[in-house]
Amino acid sequence: MSFLEIRDKVRAQEPLDFADGVALFQHPNLLELGQLANEVRERLHGQRTYFNRNMHINATNVCVASCMFCSFSRLKVGDPGAYTMSLEDAWGRLRARIEAKDPITEIHIVNGLHDGLPFSYYTELLAGLKRIAPTIHLKAFTAVEIFFFHRHFGMPVSEVLEQLRAAGLDSLPGGGAEIFAPRVRGKICADKCTADEWLDVHRTAHRMGMRSNCTMLYGHIEGAEDRVDHLLRLRALQEETGGFQTFIPLAFHPDGNALRRLPAPTGVEDLRIYAVSRLLLHNIPHIKAYWIMLGLKTAQTAQWFGADDLDGTVQEERIYHMAGAETPQGLNLSEIVHLIRQAGREPVERDTLYNVVAEGDALAPAKPFRRQVPSSLGVVQ
Amino acid sequence: MNPRLRLAAPSSLSARPITYGIEQGLGEDRFELTFVSPAQCAQRLATGQADLALLPSPSYRALALAHGLDLRVVPEIAIAARAAIDESDELMAGMWQPSQAYGTIDDWCQLTGLPFVYAFWVGRQGAIGGDEARLLSQSLHQGLAHRRAIARAFAEAHGGDPAAYEQHLVRGICYRLGSDELSGLGALFERLRLAENSSVATRVRLFEFAYAPEKPRPVAWPRPRTEAAERTLDSLLADAAAGKRLSPDGALRLYEDASLLDLGTAADQRRRSLHPGNLVTYIIDRNVNYTNLCVTACKFCNFYRPVKSKDGYTLSRDVLAQKFAETVAMGGIQILLQGGVNPNLPIGYYEDLFRWTKANFPLALHALSPEEIHFIAGIERLTIRQVLERLVAAGLDSVPGGGAEILDDEIRRRISPLKCSTDTWMAVMRESHALGLRSTATMVFGFGETPGHIVKHLERLRALQDQTAGFTAFICWPFQAEGTRLRLKDDTTANRYLRVFSLARLYLDNFPNLQVSWPTMGPAIGQVALRFGGNDFGSAMIEENVVSQAGAVFKLSAGDIERHVRAAGFIPRRRNMRYELLPPPNDPVETWQRQTDETASGRRSDLAQAR
Repeated sequence: MSFLEIRDKVRAQEPLDFADGVALFQHPNLLELGQLANEVRERLHGQRTYFNRNMHINATNVCVASCMFCSFSRLKVGDPGAYTMSLEDAWGRLRARIEAKDPITEIHIVNGLHDGLPFSYYTELLAGLKRIAPTIHLKAFTAVEIFFFHRHFGMPVSEVLEQLRAAGLDSLPGGGAEIFAPRVRGKICADKCTADEWLDVHRTAHRMGMRSNCTMLYGHIEGAEDRVDHLLRLRALQEETGGFQTFIPLAFHPDGNALRRLPAPTGVEDLRIYAVSRLLLHNIPHIKAYWIMLGLKTAQTAQWFGADDLDGTVQEERIYHMAGAETPQGLNLSEIVHLIRQAGREPVERDTLYNVVAEGDALAPAKPFRRQVPSSLGVVQ
Repeated sequence: MNPRLRLAAPSSLSARPITYGIEQGLGEDRFELTFVSPAQCAQRLATGQADLALLPSPSYRALALAHGLDLRVVPEIAIAARAAIDESDELMAGMWQPSQAYGTIDDWCQLTGLPFVYAFWVGRQGAIGGDEARLLSQSLHQGLAHRRAIARAFAEAHGGDPAAYEQHLVRGICYRLGSDELSGLGALFERLRLAENSSVATRVRLFEFAYAPEKPRPVAWPRPRTEAAERTLDSLLADAAAGKRLSPDGALRLYEDASLLDLGTAADQRRRSLHPGNLVTYIIDRNVNYTNLCVTACKFCNFYRPVKSKDGYTLSRDVLAQKFAETVAMGGIQILLQGGVNPNLPIGYYEDLFRWTKANFPLALHALSPEEIHFIAGIERLTIRQVLERLVAAGLDSVPGGGAEILDDEIRRRISPLKCSTDTWMAVMRESHALGLRSTATMVFGFGETPGHIVKHLERLRALQDQTAGFTAFICWPFQAEGTRLRLKDDTTANRYLRVFSLARLYLDNFPNLQVSWPTMGPAIGQVALRFGGNDFGSAMIEENVVSQAGAVFKLSAGDIERHVRAAGFIPRRRNMRYELLPPPNDPVETWQRQTDETASGRRSDLAQAR
């Protein structure tokens, strides 16, 4: 399939197939790819680039899984660097944001698979956060965690989700998908749930009326076919449920993990992933350039290669910073607005479900960049 | 009626045109003029015996510092010159000994390209109003119209040649206090501050009146109203991509209106037709900064130290020998040698250093930016050409294009008032090329310049390249602000870098090579820029000290460079400074391949362990 034929299909809004996807990953002209992805991106979202005001809570890094690409997990309680927040500590982080008059609309919660915590830790965590901020959106627990709860606490997935929803859960983040292809998945994260199990958690959540995101971890040992296979599986579930809001490609970061001999993916490879994802995932509305992982410069450039979202202001990101990310741990509103405007796009503050919170003049005028000093880790063992 | 204002001025020849009208009775109900020595002028102003005094510039700073007076300067009137003025004049006699801060007046003018301001009217805040300022201007204008009479009268009273005096008044002195002169004053006070190791800057504050003397307006590049405005962006892009010469208007139109991807696509097409082999070159060299002592004190620099600073260094031969030997051992073929502008190093230092390098190491010397060459010429009283000839004889191979920043004096005076002017930078390059040397050209943006300034910069480079064809490559990067005295107020994001970079590829149709700036933009955007017109990945730098002091902290080995080049779809090749391809090297590429294989097998063993 030649590029021109693929371009015609995209312009006719026909879904691309497996061979098209592989051909796009191998297409040598990055800017042609970018132009085509940008056409789709502008058709769907015009000049808008979305972001939200959010915070991250990574309540524990104790994890029974041993994924090779992870620098965050510390396996056992008591291992050097292992931590588990007390509920008070986790709630205190939200209170601190509220006291700092930071009008966040979302909390993103992702944790290790801790086999020593009761299920009530998680329900209480959510319920407590909702008690402090009843209107805040809780986007919590990847499908891998939900599946772990199902196994560990002996409840059906739907029951796990119901109980968490009763405690305050609003939607699921997209993490843990990694790469679905069994050949690669078996090598890099053998003890994580399988592709079908991951997809099934999302299917269940969507059927309950919850929205979720989806991801792909790229740049380690996967090939173009593995990537296309992954994207098409996501697309098939979306065809069935329509519950995915955003696809987030996640670049593998090599520092401090078992795959540290691998080089990190380069800028051209990053941009190519964004462009091809935009073209293949015609039924998933948003593509997010997660700036924490990508760096501000590439995340900004990705806004011209298919991405239409930058994630949020984020406070205290840990997972990528433990893998050597050199980005700041958070941005303030004017920094993120500035970054988007300088990219030639229109910033739109959204909530988790993509309702517009503020846009245009309602967003503060951009101020010069000022890097924030990362706050120290306050953790309990 | 108000009491008359007491004016104090020297009676020297140079000052007479300024006081001429008043001496002839202009505003006699408002002014009472007394002639006293320059020192007395300052004294009287300090003690309140005079309301307004014609003060020598250093006295202004001294008075402001010592007495903390809120002093104001009368706009538009000054004694200024672009070379030393006649020593016989008593205002100058004894007052203007060469100083460590600025050298002789001739040195000053030659080194800064700015006029030297001798004296101007100073009073306390509120001392005069708009009417008085107008009368002072009229007095000067009458004086300027009667310079011959002033010269004749002075010769009758003091002896001497009236024709020479007249020449002095007409050709030697400029009686303006315009933007150039104010820049000169700012530069002078900055030098004095550095010489005194003081932290207190002296600001020149003008009297402000209701009639507000006309402020110098920023020179804006006129909006294109030419054929470029009529043409579609697509046709402009298509022409530029095909290598047709882009006009300044067309470039502005593209910079302001074309989308990032359209600019990039055109630049990529142009790059492909210039470099059809799909090669991307790089060099292995070492950036050695032999000294960090510097008198130019640029506001955007966090590397330099003032001449008396304790943190200052000049590298010893031993250190240099070690660095050079390491460079050779790592496959390096060149030293990029640049320093601060250190007044303690005569040309002999460089000649010895170059000869010693050539005798001991197989390294090319890509050394001394135009600012340094110009400065050496100044302290040695040689022409630029003489300096270059001597350095070439000692072993200089090529000239790096640093210090260009934005080649527009309006911007240069704001960010680096003590650095050489646009014309001087260009002149050094022209002379170098005339001697057969090759050089690079640079641009640093993000100082609040307009798109017009950027296009003008590119236009100057393109015009010189048309004449000499001596530039091998162009490199641009955004201002790195961390730790410098200049606040970042401009857009220096990746988006802007890629736009400027693509535009440069299209505009500089006679520059074969465009180098991406991964040390400032990071490897990711550096690599992406290869798809926006770049064909050179710069240097596997073994060392870098300047931008890394201002927040740019990226490092890549030759292996990393090759990996990035390949991942972008190109074939990496090493080159020398003239951009001649070197035969694929015996070891490092293979080393890299071996490392890749090891990584692959390491990957396998990692996986085996995990099983």
